[in-house]
Amino acid sequence: MKKVIAALIALVVIALMAWGYADAAKHSEGGDPKMPEVKEIIFEHLGDSYGWEVPFSHTKRIPLPIIVLGNDGSWHLFSSARITGGETFEGFKIARGGDHNNKIVETVNGQEVRPKLDFSFTKNACGIFISAIVVCLIVFGLKRHYKRKGLKAPRGGMGLVELIVDFVYGDTIKPIMGAEAPKYGPYLLTVFFFILTMNLMGLIVIFPGGANLTGNIAVTLVLALCTFLITNFTGTKHYWKEILWPDVPVALKCPVPLMPIIELLGIFTKPIALMIRLFANMMSGHMVVLVFMLLIFIFSALFNVAAGGGTTVLSLALSLFMLLLDTLVSFIQAYVFTILSTMFISMAHVHEE
Amino acid sequence: MELFTPEFGLVFWMFIAFLGLFFILAKFAWPFIIKSMDERADLIDKGVAYAQEAKTKLDTAKAEADKLIAEARGQQADILRDAAKMRNQIIEDAHAEAAVEAKKVAEAAQLSIEQAQKESAKQLKQEAGEIALQIAEKVLRTNINNDAAQQELVQRYLSEVETKN
Repeated sequence: MKKVIAALIALVVIALMAWGYADAAKHSEGGDPKMPEVKEIIFEHLGDSYGWEVPFSHTKRIPLPIIVLGNDGSWHLFSSARITGGETFEGFKIARGGDHNNKIVETVNGQEVRPKLDFSFTKNACGIFISAIVVCLIVFGLKRHYKRKGLKAPRGGMGLVELIVDFVYGDTIKPIMGAEAPKYGPYLLTVFFFILTMNLMGLIVIFPGGANLTGNIAVTLVLALCTFLITNFTGTKHYWKEILWPDVPVALKCPVPLMPIIELLGIFTKPIALMIRLFANMMSGHMVVLVFMLLIFIFSALFNVAAGGGTTVLSLALSLFMLLLDTLVSFIQAYVFTILSTMFISMAHVHEE
Repeated sequence: MELFTPEFGLVFWMFIAFLGLFFILAKFAWPFIIKSMDERADLIDKGVAYAQEAKTKLDTAKAEADKLIAEARGQQADILRDAAKMRNQIIEDAHAEAAVEAKKVAEAAQLSIEQAQKESAKQLKQEAGEIALQIAEKVLRTNINNDAAQQELVQRYLSEVETKN
């Protein structure tokens, strides 16, 4: 009986997910089947927005605060509900098309320009904070368990969390870091859980999920930057010696410092690779699901509605498969980011043998 | 390229959210969780080590006990053997002693019998002597009177002696 209920819930959730995507795809379609603007739709959904979409509505948005420093040097704070309908408020509006598509712009001298600073609490910013709160709840839940039940193994959901913590900390960070594990463990565990939560929240189509967080380069940039800073600011003398004067034939470092240049580049390529890897993996997952959904409308525009309807079954199956794959990828990418950060940090802590 | 350009506002919010999350968790949650998990791992390791130690201890104790039992069995057998030997010895000794004792008793009896025989023979001789003397005395006395009477007297004394004995 439990299994049946679980299957039903899963079915409903999947149907909702699929419906959400399909509905989103229909968004720009209007009445008659016409070719959807595939690129437009996909980029709009992968990108950020100033309000949070509400399920089953094309126009309603959950309002979020907009904080901008205008080109005249004055700060503006207002609700996104004032402009998400396409209106202009205090000279600001959301650009449609052009260089700043879907971004807030100001009209100066008849030209659309971005405000000097845009600290708007966008959908992604809000999603980041929601994810952070979720991580807090999970981690403090585990802590409370230990406080209450002592060293007894937790059951149910907390058992899963503990399993993950043990896998990441006990089986990955500890063997690599050794004695330094307790010092850097908190950072790495935070990174892992934050990325994992953001990945999974991105897969839920409706509020509080649905924001393509880790598929946004700003998010991965901050994470990679933190690893970069920790790696280089805690690096040992030996680490810098290996970069500036590596153990290679002298001809390779003098008079032309070939190897030092390569090593110096390596300092930057490592975190950039971290940033791009997570971003590209998560973004492409979202993109593929969107494309599968859009296939329905492409086919109905190319042939007829029946063809589109027929494609629905295939599209749903493929999207479902992709979403499940993305769930797996969410774990894998969070783990990969964490283990690589661990490696980079521990590699910067080598001492001369 | 829009996707590849980080939005400054979002970088700012992400930085705040991430640093905030990190400081909260690093200060209040992770150290405690890590400590608890390490403690539990220690506890489990110790438990396993303790169990192994206990098992080896038990094994050695068992082996010792077996050894002791085997030793005791051997000792028991020895003791029983010794006891049997001793019993036989005692019986034999007793037999021998008894035989010696019996011989002694028999010899003593023999001796006393011989003594008694000698004594009784001596007494008989003495008595016979005395009787002969008496008879002789009486014969001497009556001889003086008559022969017939003498004969009768001798007869009478003889019968007297016979009845006496």
